[in-house]
Amino acid sequence: MRASTVAARLATAALVAWFGMPFVPLVVWAFADRWTWPSTLPQQWGLRGWASIGQDAMLPALARSAVLGALVAAVATPLGALAGRALGWRLAAHPGPPTLLLLAPVALPPFAIAMGVDSVLLRARIPGTLALVLVLAVFALPYTTAVFRSAYTGLDPELEHQARMLGASARQAFGRATLPALLPAAGAAVALAFLVGWSDYIVTVVVGGGQYVTAPVLVASAASGPGNEPTVAAYALLTILPLLAAIAAVAGLTSTRRGRVRREGEPA
Amino acid sequence: MTSSLELRGVSYSHPGAPARTLDAVSLQVASGEMLAVLGPSGSGKTTLLRLTAGLVTPAEGDVFVGGRSVLAEPPERRGLTMMFQQPHLFPHLDVLGNVAFADVVSGVPRRAARERAQRFLDLVHLRDLARRRPRELSGGQEQRVALARALAARPEVLLLDEPFSALDPELRSAMHDLLLEVRAMLEPTTLIVTHDLAEAALADRVAVVVDGRIEQVGPVDDLYREPATLTVARLVGGFTEVPGRLSGGVHSSVLGAVEVRGSRHGQPADGPAALLVRQESVEVVPAADARTGATGIVGRLSRSGARLVAHVEVAACSGHPGVTVRAELPPGRRVAPGARVGLLVAAACACVQAPTPQPAGTAGLATFSQSSEAPSGGTSAR
Repeated sequence: MRASTVAARLATAALVAWFGMPFVPLVVWAFADRWTWPSTLPQQWGLRGWASIGQDAMLPALARSAVLGALVAAVATPLGALAGRALGWRLAAHPGPPTLLLLAPVALPPFAIAMGVDSVLLRARIPGTLALVLVLAVFALPYTTAVFRSAYTGLDPELEHQARMLGASARQAFGRATLPALLPAAGAAVALAFLVGWSDYIVTVVVGGGQYVTAPVLVASAASGPGNEPTVAAYALLTILPLLAAIAAVAGLTSTRRGRVRREGEPA
Repeated sequence: MTSSLELRGVSYSHPGAPARTLDAVSLQVASGEMLAVLGPSGSGKTTLLRLTAGLVTPAEGDVFVGGRSVLAEPPERRGLTMMFQQPHLFPHLDVLGNVAFADVVSGVPRRAARERAQRFLDLVHLRDLARRRPRELSGGQEQRVALARALAARPEVLLLDEPFSALDPELRSAMHDLLLEVRAMLEPTTLIVTHDLAEAALADRVAVVVDGRIEQVGPVDDLYREPATLTVARLVGGFTEVPGRLSGGVHSSVLGAVEVRGSRHGQPADGPAALLVRQESVEVVPAADARTGATGIVGRLSRSGARLVAHVEVAACSGHPGVTVRAELPPGRRVAPGARVGLLVAAACACVQAPTPQPAGTAGLATFSQSSEAPSGGTSAR
């Protein structure tokens, strides 16, 4: 085996360990009824943590998180598609400023933005839940824009013209030529925007004012109390599962897209 | 169903471009005719096609399909279809779905559309690839599918924008054969844009466009025999421009006095004029040959297909400037660089008055395939 291969495998193993390590105590805690220091493993295994979930507020909170994620995706995906089309096809005369503006929510501290936007929304008398969705959509927009931007960059605008030249109206050309080519990117954008809403804590607390109890809010408040470790661990695992599913979906869709890009790279 | 196509006084300027991309261009293509628009890159020929298609709007002029103005119509209602340089197959559809596209968007049921599409796929000899995805095709197959798809749209006029320029020479000539085959069968009215003289030769007539203006329209043979302007001669290539004076139908230069026949493009007025001599019509003979009108020193040799071309430097004499004459040698014949030889001009081309001095570096004349040295600066726009 070549040295470079060995190095690559070692690096992969290190990365897997780095990302996987935090889940190990989480999984152990989720099935530990009693685990006190200095014992290496729990003294008593059990499902106490999971039992509390059914009777608790967790399931409604998870549902609320899912709705929030879906609403954020519904707002941020079409906006990201428009921005990505303008940037990917270089329709803007000066793409620099809008790009910076679109990246700002990622570059700036979320707490500062959440506080600032919250006071604006309060004065504008926008209802709390709507405000929450809008602010989170702002945070999701950089991701959806980036995904659509790269998709549009790889998509020849002439494809739409070609459809027009075969008798398609402007609307048909978009629906039958551009949209199908963008579907993988759209899936990735929806998944990313959903995750922003699904996993948010800071904005939900600041803008929602504690009224809107989502899964991360519940986990955080449970974690602040002592003796709740098995419950918190079970909550945490539960919130991660859809997240992992979404990541897997994104990865699957991205690999499909890569297949298409490779075709374009072939000699004509 | 085919119709005639006419462009009348069409002008267009790219936003921000200093010169007009197209300047009052008029063209007529009869029903069933194939017209090639030939020009160097940046001459405006692609703009001409996009404007016909309705993808850009002219500043002035009108476009007629079958005698009907289509200027106000969107691209999809002009009765035209276009093949671009890239095949632009729809990646989410299989080959048959691509060919059936025009029928499907016009409301034909999917099954019937695919059945009809199969016939057009047969026409381009790709019967067996119906179920393939575009990414599984080679470049040549992709363009065949694109041609079948364009034909299946049953356009009144077919527009081709250098559709075979990305293919290697062998595939390109196969596509040319296919195009001729399709023409014989369906007789579509066709407007093809190209920078390749061989491709233009497929058409009934050729329109040469340089810097947004039409320099000449006619059969491709005319471009060789009677180029209307020096610009056309330089783009076609293979001509030597012999500077001299025209007086009473006789051109005098270092090659001696040559009687010039008038051309259909009109006889230039007496005065300074360039005599256009094709490299095939100059014979290299021994310097002592009694018939020779001029002698010169062989400079370099270049190749034109199977034959060698001698570049013979004729010195200035009796007030006429010197010139390097291109002469094609018969197969197998060689001359040594540095040798003194005689030149026999068999038949001079129509005499053309020199509108501009020949730009530096055009001694080996530009041809269409490598015509970056168009006479005036030109625009960088297409």
